[in-house]
Amino acid sequence: MFKLAWRNIAQRKIRFALTTLPVVLGVAFVVAVFTLTDSLRATFGDLAEDVTAGTDLTVRAAQEFGSDFDRPTVPDSLVPAIESAEGVYRVYPGVAAFNVVIVDGAGDAIVPQGAPALGFNFDDSSFFLVEGREPAADGEFAADVATVADNGLRIGGTYSINGPTEVRAFELVGTFNFGAPDEHNGLGQTMTAFELDTAQQFLGFDDEVLEVGVVVAPGASPATVKADLEALLDDDYEVITQQAAADEQQADFDEVLSIFSTVLSVFAFIALFVSAFIINNVFQITIGQRVRELGLWRSIGATPAQLVKSVLAESVLVGALATAAGTVGGVGLSRLLMVVLRAGGFELPQGPLDVRLRTIALAAAVGVGVSVAASLSPALRTRRVSPIAALQPEYLLAAAGLRRRLIGGSATLGVGVVLVALALFGGFATAVTLVLAGGGALLAFVGINIVSPAFAAGAARVLGRPVAALMRVPGRLARDNAARNPRRTASTAGALMIGLALVALAAVVGASLTRSFVRTLESSVEADYFITGRSGGFNPNDGFSVQVVDDLAALDELDSVVGFRWAFGAVRVNGSTKDVLSGDMDAMDSHFDADLRAGAMAAGDSSTSMALHVDPARDLGVTAGDTLEMTFPDNETETLTVAAVYGDARIYGNWVIDSAVWDRHFNRSAFVFASATVAGLSDEPDEAARQQLLTASRAAIDEVLETYPTVQAENRAEFRESQQSQLDSLLVVITVFLGLSLIIAFAGIAITLALSVFERTREIGLLRAVGMTRRQLRRAVRWEAAIVATFGAVLGVGVGVVAGVAATVALPDSFVSDIDIPVASLAFYVVLSAVLGLLAAVFPARRAGRMNILEAISHE
Amino acid sequence: MTSSPAPTLTTAARAVAATKIYGSGDTEVRALDAIDVDFERGRFTAIMGPSGSGKSTLMHCMAGLDTVTEGQVIIGDTDLTSLSEKDLTLLRRDHVGFVFQAYNLVPTLTAIENVTLPMDLAGAKGDAAWIDEVVGATGLADRVKHRPSELSGGQQQRVAVARALAGKPQIIFADEPTGNVDSNTAGEILSFMRNAVTEMGQTIVMVTHDPVAASYADRVVFLVDGKIVDELLEPTPATIRDHMTRLGA
Repeated sequence: MFKLAWRNIAQRKIRFALTTLPVVLGVAFVVAVFTLTDSLRATFGDLAEDVTAGTDLTVRAAQEFGSDFDRPTVPDSLVPAIESAEGVYRVYPGVAAFNVVIVDGAGDAIVPQGAPALGFNFDDSSFFLVEGREPAADGEFAADVATVADNGLRIGGTYSINGPTEVRAFELVGTFNFGAPDEHNGLGQTMTAFELDTAQQFLGFDDEVLEVGVVVAPGASPATVKADLEALLDDDYEVITQQAAADEQQADFDEVLSIFSTVLSVFAFIALFVSAFIINNVFQITIGQRVRELGLWRSIGATPAQLVKSVLAESVLVGALATAAGTVGGVGLSRLLMVVLRAGGFELPQGPLDVRLRTIALAAAVGVGVSVAASLSPALRTRRVSPIAALQPEYLLAAAGLRRRLIGGSATLGVGVVLVALALFGGFATAVTLVLAGGGALLAFVGINIVSPAFAAGAARVLGRPVAALMRVPGRLARDNAARNPRRTASTAGALMIGLALVALAAVVGASLTRSFVRTLESSVEADYFITGRSGGFNPNDGFSVQVVDDLAALDELDSVVGFRWAFGAVRVNGSTKDVLSGDMDAMDSHFDADLRAGAMAAGDSSTSMALHVDPARDLGVTAGDTLEMTFPDNETETLTVAAVYGDARIYGNWVIDSAVWDRHFNRSAFVFASATVAGLSDEPDEAARQQLLTASRAAIDEVLETYPTVQAENRAEFRESQQSQLDSLLVVITVFLGLSLIIAFAGIAITLALSVFERTREIGLLRAVGMTRRQLRRAVRWEAAIVATFGAVLGVGVGVVAGVAATVALPDSFVSDIDIPVASLAFYVVLSAVLGLLAAVFPARRAGRMNILEAISHE
Repeated sequence: MTSSPAPTLTTAARAVAATKIYGSGDTEVRALDAIDVDFERGRFTAIMGPSGSGKSTLMHCMAGLDTVTEGQVIIGDTDLTSLSEKDLTLLRRDHVGFVFQAYNLVPTLTAIENVTLPMDLAGAKGDAAWIDEVVGATGLADRVKHRPSELSGGQQQRVAVARALAGKPQIIFADEPTGNVDSNTAGEILSFMRNAVTEMGQTIVMVTHDPVAASYADRVVFLVDGKIVDELLEPTPATIRDHMTRLGA
């Protein structure tokens, strides 16, 4: 049967290529994702080895929970003890901090895209001088070669540096490579380095360091030294080997990478799923066209099972070839992805591509698997081909009955919806939720695809009505042809439906998020200005110096300024880890209305104050005035007084502590976000006077911020807009990632139409003979595609809106509380799909136009 | 060979030294070999000849579906050899009618939509009274809203003839219009075509190999090896058979 399958392929090369194309694209995407992440992981592994290679051991504070960023520090006083320990050759006390931003000669902040701006103390274990000299005194700094070269900094120049605590001017005295003597191992971050005392003071460490690197004496065993040091230090400290440090870095990187690769894989599998639709369609059509030939096989003695096998064999060959081509293409695509990601601001390590056997095996499994699974139903249909088919030119394979279709499809759809609902509301673990949601969505899409032929013809006629009215005969033919084979139209549209459903889902959730945000801003936010760091977002590592808040607070035009910081999983209450936000609790009440249920933020002694949401308060049985024990990343536990219990978690989350509490237990001092209220504004009834107050305060704020080019202040309208634009750009990213699925779907429209055109050769010959111009014919084919694409788009947007509303309902109210359906942008997607459908049909339309009339008329 | 038309008849289409050559060198085939022929207005002409005689090629070239290698083809006053592909299409649409052996109708269009297809393609209204008359003559007035799949083979062919007539073309070409139907149905179709010429004054040229079909025509032209070798006026099946036997066909 393979021989028969092979002959079939050899005779229909173009058609075979068309069939294979969607799987090739899907497989290529999968291979690209895996190759990219493997390559990044391998390159980063080398990097982690390089960076940690300068020392043998690292001494640092032990940490029971919380993020590495919140690890407690090591006092300077401990360093001499370590240095004088047996077998220790050298020690490297080290500090590091985020948000250390150089301002270049032109007054612009040097802001790396998608990477942090880091500050360190210079030490020769991982910093290797290239030009100039080491920073040796207060007021001096060195920077990495890439940052210096890219921004035209020069040795000897004095630059202002925005640190986490203050802004200060430093002279650039040298440049360095990081990690290796002759190669800078940057990942796009900017790196500044200072002499140790300066670094400690400027980066907010005072008399502490983050860790102490240890190089053991020649001849001494690192293991022995490690044991000795552990004996020397108490339980608050730990000693880890160079290998463990490298592994830790690798693990951190893997964690980030696995999010990245999971997201990409999801999109890759969506693309494969879409391509399955196309393959299924192509097999359905080609088997329909080969019925007479299959009948001939039957009449000369082939059994039904052999026919099924021959189709399946063909699909295996399609899958195998697609795997081969897709693997090659995928390796190329991963290079392209790297270029795209780099262009998008992600600095990825340079390194060789790592194409693993596992990746190729996976490619083969999905390539062959998808094409066999997709051809299963058309293959089984061949069992119904009777030998008589060979003799009857008009013999048609009956499709499944409408009733069966409706029942089967609805059942599949129903199971899918139930699975998705379970995922949304069941409260399962993340992995289970993902599998349920993914599997459910898959079944729902298949179900819709089974049901949709029942209404595809009607829908095509309705959607085609304006086309028929506008375009007369070509329009009428386009409409009728789109309605002619409902199964084919439904299947072609189905591929597009999937991509658009996901785009629409994202659009609905995004719009609802925006609306919820606007609602919160309007109802619960009383602050007049919002101050954010360089990315304008809420990344804890993207903050700004505490000096900014001090300077703003000193302005007469402002009533109060509150700086906020937060940390995820950073405190423990009753044994479980919580996210926490800190701010000046004395001032917060006038900035945000969190729907206070008991007490007030400013009640009591703020230096030991905290507040919490009504839900955890109920669970713990506490109210305002009670005390709670909270454990911090520095392993200390403190008893705090509950100043307030609030009902609205949208702004603060569940747990709030006063800034004073934060300062006692966290290293990070930079603010992530700040809000300000204008003095006298809230009790000024006169609009003109209000405007004057706003204008004056704005001018004063802008003057202060001139010193801090990474910081911006936004009024309510601006803040709302910038939040919205961040959401919008996220939507764009999602759409781009769905791009390949959409490309495959439009390729599917082109492929299906090319096959339909081939099938209608005689009809086309007739139309041309009786006087249809090439132009009219091309137009008919193109508009048929537009109608099919519009059908798919409408279906997709419909499904997406339903799913989006469901997701919005399922998400917690603190995250999204209002539902918004962005009608205008959804309508735009539909129109755009119609236009892309027109474009996709250019090739089949051209083929139709070029047909030789005489050959077409006599075509069988 | 006396093909000069009767003085009362004008010419609807004519070929002058029309030559069609396929291939070149050793494989050269002269499908049409310097053919001169006139098809008079208001007459029903049949073209006959053995397989490979060039009768279909002649029809295709006369109808603007194919082009001659040398010589001229003229429909009305228009020399087809000077026309672009697009102008040929428009000429077929506006001035030529077609009936093929099978697969004459667009399956997605109703019978009446098929009839008016050429003028719809032109965006022209058409002569409503004339279309009514033509449709009435097919005897299918009550079935015009049906799609081709709901009509019998003979009915489909009559709709095809009606389509060819609907635009009042200069000339109608029919390629074995009864080749795919039984003899009773063939009779219906041929009578309808005969009527179209006699009662409605249309011009039809029909390619056929069936002497009975050809006997419905006013004149039969015989082709052998790309040349017109004989012709017969007021033919009967018997005289046609007689001629064909003599030609060795």
